[in-house]
Amino acid sequence: MKKWLSVLLTLSFAVTIAACSGNNNGNNSAAPSNNAGSNGGATATADAGGEEGFVNGKYTTPITLTTVWGLNENGSVFKEGESIEDNVHTRLIKERLGIELKYNWVVTNTNDAYKTKLRLMLSSGEDMPDVVAYRGDLETVNMLIDSGQFMPVGELVDQYANETYKQGLEHDPAIWLPITRDGEKMALPILDYAYNGDHVMWIRQDWLEKLGLQAPKTIGELEAVMDAFVNKDPDGNGTADTIGLATGFKNGFNNWMTDIGFVFGAFGTMPGQWNLNAEGKLEHGSVNPAAKDALAKLKEWMEKGYISQDAALFDEVAGSELFTKGEAGIMFGPNWLPAWPFPDLKTNVPGASFKAYPVPAGNDGKIGSAGGNPPSNGYLFINKDAEHPEAVLHYYNWFFENTANPQPGSEFANGFAEGYDYALLEDGTLTADIAKYPELFPGLKDKTAPPLFYSLTYEGARIPTLYADTHVKLAGGAQPETPYEKQEFNTRTKENIDAMKVVVDQKDIRMKNYYMGPLTETMQSKNELLNKLLNETYSKIVYGQQPLDSFDTMVDNWMKSGGEQITQEVNEWYEKAQ
Amino acid sequence: MESAINEPLQPHTKIKQAQRSKEKLSRTWPLHLMLLPAAIVTLIFAYVPMGGLVMAFQDFKPKDGIFGSEFIGLEHFRFMFEYPDSKEVIWNTLIISGLKIIFGLIVPFVFAILLNEIRKMLFKRVVQTLVYLPHFISWVILGAILTDMLGSKGIVNTTLNALGMETIPWLADGDWFRFTVVVSDIWQNFGFNTIVFLAALAGVNPSLYEAAEVDGANRWKQTVHITVPAMIPIAVVVGTLSLGNILNGGFDQIFNLYNSLVYDKGDIIDTFVYRTAILNGQYSFGTAVGLFKSVIGLILIVFAYRLAYKYAGYRIF
Repeated sequence: MKKWLSVLLTLSFAVTIAACSGNNNGNNSAAPSNNAGSNGGATATADAGGEEGFVNGKYTTPITLTTVWGLNENGSVFKEGESIEDNVHTRLIKERLGIELKYNWVVTNTNDAYKTKLRLMLSSGEDMPDVVAYRGDLETVNMLIDSGQFMPVGELVDQYANETYKQGLEHDPAIWLPITRDGEKMALPILDYAYNGDHVMWIRQDWLEKLGLQAPKTIGELEAVMDAFVNKDPDGNGTADTIGLATGFKNGFNNWMTDIGFVFGAFGTMPGQWNLNAEGKLEHGSVNPAAKDALAKLKEWMEKGYISQDAALFDEVAGSELFTKGEAGIMFGPNWLPAWPFPDLKTNVPGASFKAYPVPAGNDGKIGSAGGNPPSNGYLFINKDAEHPEAVLHYYNWFFENTANPQPGSEFANGFAEGYDYALLEDGTLTADIAKYPELFPGLKDKTAPPLFYSLTYEGARIPTLYADTHVKLAGGAQPETPYEKQEFNTRTKENIDAMKVVVDQKDIRMKNYYMGPLTETMQSKNELLNKLLNETYSKIVYGQQPLDSFDTMVDNWMKSGGEQITQEVNEWYEKAQ
Repeated sequence: MESAINEPLQPHTKIKQAQRSKEKLSRTWPLHLMLLPAAIVTLIFAYVPMGGLVMAFQDFKPKDGIFGSEFIGLEHFRFMFEYPDSKEVIWNTLIISGLKIIFGLIVPFVFAILLNEIRKMLFKRVVQTLVYLPHFISWVILGAILTDMLGSKGIVNTTLNALGMETIPWLADGDWFRFTVVVSDIWQNFGFNTIVFLAALAGVNPSLYEAAEVDGANRWKQTVHITVPAMIPIAVVVGTLSLGNILNGGFDQIFNLYNSLVYDKGDIIDTFVYRTAILNGQYSFGTAVGLFKSVIGLILIVFAYRLAYKYAGYRIF
């Protein structure tokens, strides 16, 4: 009896495994054929009526647009029973545009899982879906372009993009540089608000006031403030446990948050990027002699306890925790930090307040901060075999027309969908406060679910100048008029809005990374070596593990080990791109 | 062992043996069938992908795929050995994983003996489970915990400071980094090998101890002359198997703990490959290094296995 039982069990295991693998294969092969089937069907009817079957802003016969997706922190809040595959966004797009979004696979995008999966698809030569959105490193962007699976989009843009999108693209023509190959534009830039990544100096206003200090305008004054933050017990707990500046340079010395690059800017260079020098040539900012002075300054700060002893161990997020834990009093970063991660500070240190100030200048007046890059954040790649490549533009256009800057009284004036990203109180006022009115957001807990974050373009559509213009206007004390202005006024904190004005006032100090081309040949083989050399020497100098003069040896080494060649290649690209 | 006991009792002919193995098969075939799913999974996930090794000899481009990319022979292997940092990285790997292997053998060995002396069953089981638990925590989590604990204001350094000692840069100095990596790895994994050793100890015939006691051997003598010899074969097996991993310094661990300050002492082959091959899209190079590592690992396993057979008389197959 027992023996037969075990045989049965074994057999059922074997069958299950066989069935599983069979199923998988079945799915994989079924997906493309399915897809081809529906596309074929759409084309057939399209041929019958209108050129692409897109009449009055809608495909008369619904078409399918396949894609893949990585669930980001922002867009992973769903109403009960909804998912990325089926939610208010996908249903509305199907209803309004006749486009059915089909997700071939979805991953939760932690530890770059989405990127890894895309790269695996590339390396195994799998067929790509109709449209791939990617937001992240340029290397992956290049690999996607080089895969040869995607089409040039120049003509599509000319033919199908609406005026708003076109104007946004014209804000800075450099937006096309990273994705141009032999004069062909190989992807659609996803527009973002201009100046949105540019930094301000965030200071704990309550600490400044408690110690009776003024916000620093120069590096010298900044040092005085940091000294007070370290030695005068600004948090009033009786122990010397505070530091001056929250920073983390595990990933380099030019960061998107907890930035330390401004110190280099104050000496006239910017590490980790290609700067335009006086002769009109591009040079790598990390090997500019001015960087040595900046490193000497950082070393001094480390010795005096102005920056954390663990700064080299921390990436941006870990570094920001120094500020949000209430340990550090200053942090450099974008205008939107009050939305994230600063609320943590309010939780950890009740009564804490912060305010944005201009980036301080060097003692001899030099000033600089990384930024001013073209307003794009990610790309849409369109499969060259897609049946309806123009559908991607129709999709993006729709967001520009309807959600980017809706007019008062229009359908999306209040937000995307009631009960998701907004709710109306009985007296008609708009709210997004789910903690206070949980009953107005059925199916949601703790967090609202803005459906724009579900979109293929990550946040619907953004008009580059709109954000800064609005904030400058509001910071000046003007009343919000359009829904967008009202929404910004209601959802952004006062600190955020004021910070954007600080950014715009300082827009001339930004140091753009002038190299926006693909990895050059020498970069591919030498980047690792050169970056390791730079980061290792930089960190060791700051920590005092190597003498300051090792900077000069490092620069020599860097030049000899391929840096010179890369500089040449970069300048060749720059001359051609201009 | 079983056959060694049976042999003198049952002198047998070839025919008898064949009959017996047939009988045995008819009794045991369901067990063999049970192996089948595992064998299939291994075939699909361990053997079929080996075809991809061909990338190591190609200038692989994603758009051309494995079948379309150009063959360039041993170019990547040349690049690997000429790369300025290769020697440093290989050396770091050998030191870090060498230390991990040696202490990863000694610590559970001693710990198993100590645990074996405990007569309270409940206490023994609880300890056994507790030391085994860290084995299941991912390094992504452990990395964050350790960075926090070992930071300049972490719990470890504040305790040291309170005792009047200086702050130790556990993760910010090359030598301390190696120390931290080896100790934390052993802390995480020694529970696993402890269980293997305890299993070996459970198989020791109690009459041996009784006989030794009659002969007047004390606890220590019993340990030296019975317990340790009984554990040597299994220790050899564990050592042999781990030798194959000597070029794996533990990617998960190093990647989640290292930083630019400790590159010269803590950067291992796998993290190096991650930066060159994955971050810069050089898949072929990454495959070449992977192949190199596997070949060295295989050679070491075969070599160690021969040694183990010759000097400890132990065979796995």
